[in-house]
Amino acid sequence: MIRSLAWYCDTHYGVYASRGRSFAKPAPPADELLSLIGRPVKYFSRMTGETKSCLAAASLALREMSPPNAVGDEIGLLSAGAEGCVQANEKYFTDYVTSGRTMGRGNLFIYTLPTSTLCEVAIALALAGPAMYVHADASPLLTLTRTAEQLLTDREADGMLALWSDSRAAVCISLTAGPPVDPFTVNFTPEELAPLPLAERLFAMVSRP
Amino acid sequence: MNAVIAQSDVVTAYGWGTEVLWAGLMSGRTAIRSTDRFAERKFVSNQVAMVPDLVVAEGESRCMAMLKQLLAPLRWTIDPKTALIVATTVGEIEYIEQAVLDDSPEKSSFARPSVLLERVKEFLRLTGPATVLSSACASSAAALTRAASMVRHGQADAVLVVSCDAVSEFVYSGFSTLLSLCEVPASPFDAARCGLTLGEAAAWALVTRDDHKLATKDSPAILGWGNTTDAVHMTAPDRNATGLTRAIAKSLAMAGRAPADVDFIAAHGTATIYSDAMEMTAFRNAISEPRPVYSVKGGIGHTLAAAGLAQILIAARAMSLSVLPPTVGLNHPDERAIGWVQNTPTKLQRSRTALSCNSGFGGVNTAVLLGSINQ
Repeated sequence: MIRSLAWYCDTHYGVYASRGRSFAKPAPPADELLSLIGRPVKYFSRMTGETKSCLAAASLALREMSPPNAVGDEIGLLSAGAEGCVQANEKYFTDYVTSGRTMGRGNLFIYTLPTSTLCEVAIALALAGPAMYVHADASPLLTLTRTAEQLLTDREADGMLALWSDSRAAVCISLTAGPPVDPFTVNFTPEELAPLPLAERLFAMVSRP
Repeated sequence: MNAVIAQSDVVTAYGWGTEVLWAGLMSGRTAIRSTDRFAERKFVSNQVAMVPDLVVAEGESRCMAMLKQLLAPLRWTIDPKTALIVATTVGEIEYIEQAVLDDSPEKSSFARPSVLLERVKEFLRLTGPATVLSSACASSAAALTRAASMVRHGQADAVLVVSCDAVSEFVYSGFSTLLSLCEVPASPFDAARCGLTLGEAAAWALVTRDDHKLATKDSPAILGWGNTTDAVHMTAPDRNATGLTRAIAKSLAMAGRAPADVDFIAAHGTATIYSDAMEMTAFRNAISEPRPVYSVKGGIGHTLAAAGLAQILIAARAMSLSVLPPTVGLNHPDERAIGWVQNTPTKLQRSRTALSCNSGFGGVNTAVLLGSINQ
């Protein structure tokens, strides 16, 4: 079942949770983002903006899981997005070509997989469950949540985080198995199928009195 | 009810078909060759395992060239409602290369994984649910586990898993930069191993229920699986092999099998120093007593996303024939691999259960336990 939706974008962040702990707040300055994540993160300064947004959204979603996450728990990560890692691939290959086409940069090459961002989040948050990029153009968020539910049903993970991001926003849905606690469902409309509009709608949702 | 691999096929540097791959590996000769394709690039190696005589049409990617020929027999026979999972790491990466080299940024969008998914779907005229899945070099094995899960839970009668990755300057330069390539053909689990050789392959597997009309008593069953993440490092494997050990344990638990039930192991076996060592640690952690282990990468190189499926198809063949192929390129086993790996074909006393393992960048691991329907 879905436990929470958390999001982080350039203007605000927040959580819409099943146990009534929903909130929305203005986004902290970039240099205070680590305090939101709530734990030291190696190589944080080297991370891309998208990875930092994903890390923030995943950290927020993780806190709403039940039972609370502890290091070593089998929490898995899924991500989606039609672009895959095209931008990172362009960046690596452009740098390689402009540098003389004999040697690339390892620190750019390692981001040329659709799973690079989510594995970086997994390392930062010590999440040791399955990590997969799973995308379907027709229904990306539904595919993500269904795959997450399937992994939980198969007992491949105790909890799952499903990430949906672009360069400006990240949305993270947390799911767990087990008995429902004030469950809620999420119906995504086509205009919500981009992280920033979705984050903005969530912001509006939890800001409502 | 089990999920089984009812039909399958593969193309590798040995040529077209599982039988050709099997014969190539059993011959002990490698399909890895020197190439002058990247001669001007001054990479650390010129070794590569490419599909021979692949005809690539103007504007087409090597992945689609492989897939069109490989999937052609399915085109008019597959049920259009069959669910599809396409597994790849970088897919049609040539379009990124062309976008940069030809200063044609509009070509980049053709390299999106979802575009490859649509191409495959359209080629096969499929109308069912379609997903593209990536989990680094464990992609096709992970896709197979998702397909098996969908079939077991009744979400689909049949799921077609398609996987491909091609040799490209993009990937070759990256692995060269990371000093992962060996100057000579890869020699998995060898004491003198010096790195991987890049290869290319495409493969597909139709996963169905064991009582599906296309399944036979010889169809290999997907008994159990485990997907985990090391959560340690983006490129280096976990030296304690915790992630892969857990993946193996999960696969055994799901299948209701004990470590002693594993008759042989199809290893990822890239031939990099740390990855092979990590795998042997995982096998020792999870299985304890030595089991016959082999890797196909000394024959066909590291075929990235397709690696898992290619080795699973060979594991299924080995299981049915009760013979293991040799680890091509292996001369003197690493100290920790002695008693496990072999460089000659091995006749098995028992071949009811096979374990296949894959790991990849980001610390992903997948273990798949194969067995016979009739067990």
